Amino acid sequence: MIDPVTYMLTLIILCMVVNLGIALYGIFFRPSLVKKIIAVTILGDTANTFAIMLGYRRWLSPEKPSIPPVLLNYANATKEALAEFSARAVDPLPQALVLTAIVIGLAVTLFLVFLTLQIHRLYGTTDVREIRKLRG
Amino acid sequence: MKHAIAVLSIVLFVLAMSLLLTVAGGLYIPSISVRPLAELYLNTTYNPWNREFTALSPEGVTAIVWDYRGLDTVFETTVFYLAIIASIAIARGIRKYSALPGKELGLSLIVRTVTRITTTLIVAVAISIALHGHLTPGGGFQGGATAAVAPLLILVAFSHYFLLKRGVSKDLMLVIRSLGLAGIGIVAIATYLVAVASGLPGFVLQNQPKPLSPVNLPAYLGGQLISGTLWFFNIFEFFAVMAGFTIVFLLLAIPERIARGGGEK
Repeated sequence: MIDPVTYMLTLIILCMVVNLGIALYGIFFRPSLVKKIIAVTILGDTANTFAIMLGYRRWLSPEKPSIPPVLLNYANATKEALAEFSARAVDPLPQALVLTAIVIGLAVTLFLVFLTLQIHRLYGTTDVREIRKLRG
Repeated sequence: MKHAIAVLSIVLFVLAMSLLLTVAGGLYIPSISVRPLAELYLNTTYNPWNREFTALSPEGVTAIVWDYRGLDTVFETTVFYLAIIASIAIARGIRKYSALPGKELGLSLIVRTVTRITTTLIVAVAISIALHGHLTPGGGFQGGATAAVAPLLILVAFSHYFLLKRGVSKDLMLVIRSLGLAGIGIVAIATYLVAVASGLPGFVLQNQPKPLSPVNLPAYLGGQLISGTLWFFNIFEFFAVMAGFTIVFLLLAIPERIARGGGEK
Protein backbone atom coordinates (compact mmCIF):
# COMPACT_ATOMS: atom_id res chain seq x y z
CA MET A 1 0.00 0.00 0.00
CA ILE A 2 1.55 3.27 -1.12
CA ASP A 3 1.51 6.18 1.29
CA PRO A 4 -0.54 9.10 -0.16
CA VAL A 5 2.05 11.68 0.92
CA THR A 6 4.80 9.77 -0.85
CA TYR A 7 2.54 9.40 -3.88
CA MET A 8 1.78 13.13 -4.06
CA LEU A 9 5.42 14.09 -3.54
CA THR A 10 6.53 11.73 -6.27
CA LEU A 11 3.86 13.12 -8.57
CA ILE A 12 4.96 16.70 -7.94
CA ILE A 13 8.64 15.93 -8.48
CA LEU A 14 7.79 13.88 -11.57
CA CYS A 15 5.82 16.79 -13.05
CA MET A 16 8.75 19.09 -12.37
CA VAL A 17 11.17 16.75 -14.12
CA VAL A 18 8.83 16.43 -17.12
CA ASN A 19 8.63 20.24 -17.21
CA LEU A 20 12.41 20.34 -17.10
CA GLY A 21 12.57 17.93 -20.04
CA ILE A 22 10.09 19.99 -22.06
CA ALA A 23 12.02 23.18 -21.29
CA LEU A 24 15.37 21.69 -22.27
CA TYR A 25 13.85 20.30 -25.47
CA GLY A 26 12.44 23.73 -26.29
CA ILE A 27 15.72 25.50 -25.61
CA PHE A 28 17.91 23.13 -27.59
CA PHE A 29 15.78 21.86 -30.44
CA ARG A 30 13.15 24.46 -31.33
CA PRO A 31 14.53 26.81 -33.96
CA SER A 32 12.22 29.75 -33.19
CA LEU A 33 13.61 32.28 -30.73
CA VAL A 34 10.12 32.98 -29.36
CA LYS A 35 9.69 29.32 -28.45
CA LYS A 36 13.14 29.31 -26.90
CA ILE A 37 12.11 32.22 -24.67
CA ILE A 38 8.93 30.40 -23.64
CA ALA A 39 11.03 27.33 -22.79
CA VAL A 40 13.43 29.46 -20.74
CA THR A 41 10.52 30.81 -18.68
CA ILE A 42 9.25 27.26 -18.11
CA LEU A 43 12.75 26.25 -16.98
CA GLY A 44 12.97 29.19 -14.61
CA ASP A 45 9.55 28.54 -13.10
CA THR A 46 10.40 24.86 -12.60
CA ALA A 47 13.61 25.79 -10.80
CA ASN A 48 11.67 28.24 -8.61
CA THR A 49 9.05 25.64 -7.72
CA PHE A 50 11.79 23.21 -6.82
CA ALA A 51 13.46 25.79 -4.57
CA ILE A 52 10.19 26.50 -2.77
CA MET A 53 9.55 22.78 -2.33
CA LEU A 54 12.93 22.37 -0.64
CA GLY A 55 11.76 24.78 2.05
CA TYR A 56 8.60 22.85 2.91
CA ARG A 57 8.25 21.12 6.27
CA ARG A 58 6.17 18.17 7.39
CA TRP A 59 2.95 18.74 9.31
CA LEU A 60 3.23 18.36 13.07
CA SER A 61 -0.06 16.47 13.06
CA PRO A 62 -3.20 16.47 10.86
CA GLU A 63 -4.69 19.12 13.17
CA LYS A 64 -1.55 21.25 13.03
CA PRO A 65 -0.57 21.75 9.38
CA SER A 66 2.42 23.81 8.25
CA ILE A 67 1.73 27.53 8.01
CA PRO A 68 3.25 30.32 5.88
CA PRO A 69 6.11 32.25 7.52
CA VAL A 70 3.77 35.11 8.46
CA LEU A 71 2.93 35.85 12.07
CA LEU A 72 -0.70 36.94 11.84
CA ASN A 73 -1.56 38.05 15.37
CA TYR A 74 1.60 40.05 15.96
CA ALA A 75 0.08 42.90 17.98
CA ASN A 76 -0.56 40.73 21.05
CA ALA A 77 1.89 37.92 20.44
CA THR A 78 3.00 35.87 23.39
CA LYS A 79 6.12 33.79 23.78
CA GLU A 80 4.02 30.65 23.41
CA ALA A 81 2.54 31.91 20.14
CA LEU A 82 6.04 32.67 18.86
CA ALA A 83 7.26 29.20 19.82
CA GLU A 84 4.32 27.62 18.01
CA PHE A 85 4.94 29.85 15.00
CA SER A 86 8.57 28.81 14.67
CA ALA A 87 7.59 25.18 15.21
CA ARG A 88 5.05 25.19 12.35
CA ALA A 89 6.09 27.80 9.79
CA VAL A 90 7.87 26.72 6.61
CA ASP A 91 11.37 27.85 5.65
CA PRO A 92 11.12 31.49 4.48
CA LEU A 93 14.56 31.66 2.86
CA PRO A 94 13.78 29.88 -0.46
CA GLN A 95 10.63 31.97 -0.78
CA ALA A 96 12.63 35.18 -0.36
CA LEU A 97 15.16 34.10 -2.98
CA VAL A 98 12.45 32.98 -5.41
CA LEU A 99 10.56 36.23 -4.97
CA THR A 100 13.43 38.30 -6.33
CA ALA A 101 14.29 35.63 -8.91
CA ILE A 102 10.79 35.93 -10.40
CA VAL A 103 10.99 39.70 -10.86
CA ILE A 104 14.55 39.57 -12.22
CA GLY A 105 13.49 36.70 -14.49
CA LEU A 106 10.61 38.78 -15.78
CA ALA A 107 12.94 41.71 -16.52
CA VAL A 108 15.47 39.48 -18.28
CA THR A 109 12.66 37.83 -20.26
CA LEU A 110 11.49 41.26 -21.39
CA PHE A 111 15.06 42.02 -22.48
CA LEU A 112 15.16 38.77 -24.48
CA VAL A 113 11.80 39.67 -26.04
CA PHE A 114 13.30 43.00 -27.06
CA LEU A 115 16.29 41.30 -28.64
CA THR A 116 14.01 38.95 -30.56
CA LEU A 117 11.81 41.81 -31.68
CA GLN A 118 14.83 43.71 -32.93
CA ILE A 119 16.14 40.62 -34.75
CA HIS A 120 12.75 40.23 -36.39
CA ARG A 121 12.77 43.89 -37.43
CA LEU A 122 16.25 43.63 -38.92
CA TYR A 123 16.16 40.18 -40.51
CA GLY A 124 12.45 39.45 -40.87
CA THR A 125 12.71 36.08 -39.14
CA THR A 126 13.19 34.57 -35.68
CA ASP A 127 14.45 31.22 -36.95
CA VAL A 128 18.00 30.69 -35.69
CA ARG A 129 18.89 28.60 -38.75
CA GLU A 130 17.96 31.53 -41.01
CA ILE A 131 19.67 34.11 -38.83
CA ARG A 132 22.91 32.14 -38.86
CA LYS A 133 23.07 32.33 -42.66
CA LEU A 134 22.61 36.10 -42.71
CA ARG A 135 25.49 38.55 -42.68
CA GLY A 136 25.54 42.11 -41.37
CA MET B 1 17.21 11.25 -38.25
CA LYS B 2 19.03 13.77 -36.09
CA HIS B 3 15.68 15.05 -34.86
CA ALA B 4 14.50 11.55 -33.96
CA ILE B 5 17.64 10.92 -31.92
CA ALA B 6 17.14 14.21 -30.14
CA VAL B 7 13.54 13.40 -29.23
CA LEU B 8 14.57 9.91 -28.15
CA SER B 9 17.33 11.22 -25.92
CA ILE B 10 14.97 13.69 -24.26
CA VAL B 11 12.40 10.95 -23.66
CA LEU B 12 15.09 8.69 -22.23
CA PHE B 13 16.30 11.53 -20.01
CA VAL B 14 12.81 12.13 -18.64
CA LEU B 15 12.20 8.41 -18.13
CA ALA B 16 15.51 7.93 -16.36
CA MET B 17 14.84 10.90 -14.10
CA SER B 18 11.33 9.69 -13.32
CA LEU B 19 12.64 6.26 -12.42
CA LEU B 20 15.16 7.92 -10.15
CA LEU B 21 12.46 10.00 -8.54
CA THR B 22 10.08 7.09 -8.08
CA VAL B 23 12.79 5.68 -5.86
CA ALA B 24 13.67 9.04 -4.36
CA GLY B 25 10.04 10.05 -3.76
CA GLY B 26 9.77 7.48 -1.01
CA LEU B 27 12.93 8.79 0.57
CA TYR B 28 12.26 12.48 0.10
CA ILE B 29 9.74 13.39 2.79
CA PRO B 30 10.14 16.92 4.17
CA SER B 31 11.58 16.96 7.65
CA ILE B 32 9.43 17.97 10.60
CA SER B 33 12.05 20.57 11.54
CA VAL B 34 13.52 23.22 9.25
CA ARG B 35 17.20 24.06 8.85
CA PRO B 36 18.91 25.85 11.76
CA LEU B 37 19.22 29.03 9.67
CA ALA B 38 15.47 29.05 8.97
CA GLU B 39 14.87 28.37 12.66
CA LEU B 40 16.85 31.51 13.47
CA TYR B 41 14.90 33.57 10.94
CA LEU B 42 11.54 32.34 12.23
CA ASN B 43 12.53 32.93 15.83
CA THR B 44 13.73 36.49 15.32
CA THR B 45 11.58 37.87 12.50
CA TYR B 46 9.13 39.36 15.02
CA ASN B 47 10.40 38.97 18.54
CA PRO B 48 9.93 41.95 20.88
CA TRP B 49 11.77 40.06 23.65
CA ASN B 50 14.93 39.78 21.59
CA ARG B 51 15.40 43.37 20.44
CA GLU B 52 19.06 42.92 19.52
CA PHE B 53 18.41 40.43 16.70
CA THR B 54 14.81 40.92 15.61
CA ALA B 55 13.72 42.58 12.38
CA LEU B 56 10.34 43.45 13.95
CA SER B 57 8.49 42.32 10.85
CA PRO B 58 5.78 39.66 11.23
CA GLU B 59 6.40 38.64 7.60
CA GLY B 60 9.43 36.38 7.44
CA VAL B 61 9.99 36.70 3.70
CA THR B 62 10.13 40.50 3.61
CA ALA B 63 12.38 40.48 6.67
CA ILE B 64 14.84 38.25 4.83
CA VAL B 65 14.56 40.17 1.56
CA TRP B 66 15.29 43.60 3.02
CA ASP B 67 16.86 43.00 6.42
CA TYR B 68 18.80 39.77 6.89
CA ARG B 69 19.87 39.51 3.26
CA GLY B 70 19.37 43.12 2.22
CA LEU B 71 22.63 43.34 0.28
CA ASP B 72 21.51 40.46 -1.97
CA THR B 73 18.34 42.32 -2.78
CA VAL B 74 20.19 45.54 -3.52
CA PHE B 75 22.30 43.71 -6.07
CA GLU B 76 19.25 41.97 -7.50
CA THR B 77 17.73 45.40 -7.94
CA THR B 78 20.89 46.29 -9.84
CA VAL B 79 20.38 43.32 -12.17
CA PHE B 80 16.80 44.47 -12.73
CA TYR B 81 18.08 47.99 -13.42
CA LEU B 82 20.58 46.69 -15.98
CA ALA B 83 17.98 44.53 -17.75
CA ILE B 84 15.71 47.56 -18.18
CA ILE B 85 18.64 49.76 -19.27
CA ALA B 86 19.63 47.15 -21.88
CA SER B 87 16.05 47.08 -23.21
CA ILE B 88 16.05 50.86 -23.53
CA ALA B 89 19.43 50.75 -25.27
CA ILE B 90 18.11 48.33 -27.88
CA ALA B 91 15.08 50.51 -28.55
CA ARG B 92 17.08 53.74 -28.88
CA GLY B 93 16.91 55.88 -31.99
CA ILE B 94 13.13 56.13 -32.00
CA ARG B 95 12.16 59.77 -32.03
CA LYS B 96 8.94 61.49 -31.04
CA TYR B 97 5.78 60.39 -32.77
CA SER B 98 2.05 60.93 -32.65
CA ALA B 99 -1.08 59.16 -33.83
CA LEU B 100 -2.16 59.22 -37.43
CA PRO B 101 -5.06 61.71 -37.63
CA GLY B 102 -8.63 60.56 -38.14
CA LYS B 103 -8.14 57.01 -36.94
CA GLU B 104 -10.22 55.13 -34.37
CA LEU B 105 -7.84 53.66 -31.79
CA GLY B 106 -8.25 51.06 -29.10
CA LEU B 107 -10.67 48.20 -28.60
CA SER B 108 -14.47 48.36 -28.33
CA LEU B 109 -16.41 50.47 -25.84
CA ILE B 110 -17.20 47.45 -23.65
CA VAL B 111 -13.54 46.51 -23.26
CA ARG B 112 -12.55 50.10 -22.58
CA THR B 113 -15.20 50.54 -19.88
CA VAL B 114 -14.23 47.31 -18.16
CA THR B 115 -10.57 48.30 -18.38
CA ARG B 116 -11.33 51.60 -16.66
CA ILE B 117 -12.84 49.73 -13.71
CA THR B 118 -10.28 46.93 -13.45
CA THR B 119 -7.28 49.24 -13.83
CA THR B 120 -8.38 51.19 -10.78
CA LEU B 121 -8.83 47.97 -8.84
CA ILE B 122 -5.43 46.65 -9.92
CA VAL B 123 -3.62 49.80 -8.85
CA ALA B 124 -5.44 49.82 -5.49
CA VAL B 125 -4.57 46.18 -4.82
CA ALA B 126 -0.96 46.75 -5.90
CA ILE B 127 -0.53 49.69 -3.52
CA SER B 128 -2.03 47.69 -0.68
CA ILE B 129 0.32 44.77 -1.44
CA ALA B 130 3.32 47.11 -1.37
CA LEU B 131 2.32 49.05 1.76
CA HIS B 132 1.48 45.92 3.77
CA GLY B 133 4.58 44.07 2.60
CA HIS B 134 6.01 43.84 6.12
CA LEU B 135 2.73 42.57 7.65
CA THR B 136 1.19 40.21 5.09
CA PRO B 137 2.58 38.33 2.08
CA GLY B 138 3.68 40.94 -0.40
CA GLY B 139 6.15 43.75 -0.76
CA GLY B 140 7.68 46.16 -3.22
CA PHE B 141 8.54 43.62 -5.90
CA GLN B 142 5.12 42.00 -5.90
CA GLY B 143 3.24 45.29 -5.67
CA GLY B 144 5.29 46.84 -8.45
CA ALA B 145 4.83 43.87 -10.75
CA THR B 146 1.07 43.96 -10.07
CA ALA B 147 0.85 47.69 -10.69
CA ALA B 148 2.70 47.31 -14.00
CA VAL B 149 -0.27 45.29 -15.29
CA ALA B 150 -2.40 48.46 -15.29
CA PRO B 151 -0.40 50.35 -17.99
CA LEU B 152 -0.17 47.10 -19.97
CA LEU B 153 -3.97 46.78 -19.94
CA ILE B 154 -4.35 50.43 -20.94
CA LEU B 155 -1.86 49.94 -23.78
CA VAL B 156 -3.89 47.05 -25.14
CA ALA B 157 -7.37 48.46 -24.60
CA PHE B 158 -6.80 52.17 -25.30
CA SER B 159 -3.65 52.21 -27.52
CA HIS B 160 -0.23 53.69 -26.95
CA TYR B 161 -1.28 57.25 -27.75
CA PHE B 162 -3.82 57.34 -24.92
CA LEU B 163 -0.96 57.03 -22.40
CA LEU B 164 1.32 59.42 -24.31
CA LYS B 165 -1.38 62.12 -24.40
CA ARG B 166 -1.70 61.89 -20.62
CA GLY B 167 2.02 62.34 -20.10
CA VAL B 168 2.90 58.73 -19.24
CA SER B 169 6.03 58.68 -21.35
CA LYS B 170 9.26 56.73 -21.20
CA ASP B 171 11.12 59.75 -19.81
CA LEU B 172 8.68 60.31 -16.94
CA MET B 173 8.89 56.63 -16.00
CA LEU B 174 12.69 56.81 -16.13
CA VAL B 175 12.56 59.71 -13.67
CA ILE B 176 10.22 57.81 -11.32
CA ARG B 177 12.36 54.71 -11.51
CA SER B 178 15.57 56.65 -10.85
CA LEU B 179 13.92 58.34 -7.86
CA GLY B 180 12.85 54.92 -6.56
CA LEU B 181 16.37 53.54 -6.91
CA ALA B 182 17.86 56.64 -5.28
CA GLY B 183 15.36 56.21 -2.44
CA ILE B 184 16.50 52.62 -1.94
CA GLY B 185 20.09 53.83 -1.77
CA ILE B 186 19.26 56.54 0.75
CA VAL B 187 17.28 54.19 2.99
CA ALA B 188 20.14 51.66 2.79
CA ILE B 189 22.56 54.15 4.33
CA ALA B 190 20.02 56.05 6.47
CA THR B 191 20.82 54.18 9.68
CA TYR B 192 24.53 54.53 9.00
CA LEU B 193 24.18 58.29 8.54
CA VAL B 194 22.17 58.56 11.77
CA ALA B 195 24.90 56.61 13.55
CA VAL B 196 27.67 58.80 12.13
CA ALA B 197 25.78 61.97 13.06
CA SER B 198 25.38 60.79 16.65
CA GLY B 199 28.93 59.46 16.96
CA LEU B 200 27.94 55.78 17.35
CA PRO B 201 28.99 52.74 15.32
CA GLY B 202 26.52 51.87 12.56
CA PHE B 203 26.02 49.50 9.65
CA VAL B 204 24.87 49.92 6.08
CA LEU B 205 21.42 48.31 5.54
CA GLN B 206 20.87 48.18 9.30
CA ASN B 207 17.25 48.13 10.41
CA GLN B 208 16.79 47.54 14.13
CA PRO B 209 19.43 47.98 16.86
CA LYS B 210 22.23 45.43 16.77
CA PRO B 211 24.59 44.43 19.62
CA LEU B 212 27.36 46.71 18.36
CA SER B 213 25.19 49.56 17.14
CA PRO B 214 22.21 50.85 19.12
CA VAL B 215 20.81 53.17 16.41
CA ASN B 216 17.68 52.24 14.44
CA LEU B 217 14.90 53.67 12.34
CA PRO B 218 11.59 53.85 14.23
CA ALA B 219 9.73 50.55 14.12
CA TYR B 220 6.40 52.22 14.86
CA LEU B 221 5.04 55.28 13.09
CA GLY B 222 2.00 56.80 14.77
CA GLY B 223 1.31 53.56 16.61
CA GLN B 224 1.44 51.51 13.40
CA LEU B 225 4.14 48.90 12.87
CA ILE B 226 6.31 49.89 9.89
CA SER B 227 9.36 47.74 10.77
CA GLY B 228 11.94 50.49 10.35
CA THR B 229 13.54 50.42 6.91
CA LEU B 230 11.34 47.67 5.46
CA TRP B 231 8.36 49.93 4.83
CA PHE B 232 10.48 52.54 3.02
CA PHE B 233 12.30 49.91 1.00
CA ASN B 234 8.97 48.45 -0.10
CA ILE B 235 7.61 51.83 -1.18
CA PHE B 236 10.71 52.76 -3.19
CA GLU B 237 11.02 49.29 -4.71
CA PHE B 238 7.34 49.52 -5.70
CA PHE B 239 8.01 52.67 -7.73
CA ALA B 240 11.24 51.33 -9.23
CA VAL B 241 9.70 48.04 -10.37
CA MET B 242 6.42 49.56 -11.55
CA ALA B 243 8.13 52.28 -13.59
CA GLY B 244 10.74 49.89 -14.94
CA PHE B 245 8.17 47.48 -16.31
CA THR B 246 6.05 50.34 -17.64
CA ILE B 247 9.06 51.61 -19.64
CA VAL B 248 9.52 48.22 -21.26
CA PHE B 249 5.80 47.84 -22.01
CA LEU B 250 5.72 51.32 -23.55
CA LEU B 251 8.72 50.51 -25.74
CA LEU B 252 7.29 47.13 -26.75
CA ALA B 253 4.02 48.77 -27.79
CA ILE B 254 5.62 51.20 -30.25
CA PRO B 255 3.95 50.57 -33.62
CA GLU B 256 6.09 48.80 -36.23
CA ARG B 257 5.60 51.67 -38.68
CA ILE B 258 7.45 54.02 -36.33
CA ALA B 259 9.99 51.51 -35.03
CA ARG B 260 11.14 50.74 -38.58
CA GLY B 261 10.95 54.31 -39.85
CA GLY B 262 12.75 55.90 -36.89
CA GLY B 263 9.87 58.22 -35.97
CA GLU B 264 9.00 61.71 -37.17
CA LYS B 265 11.87 63.98 -37.99
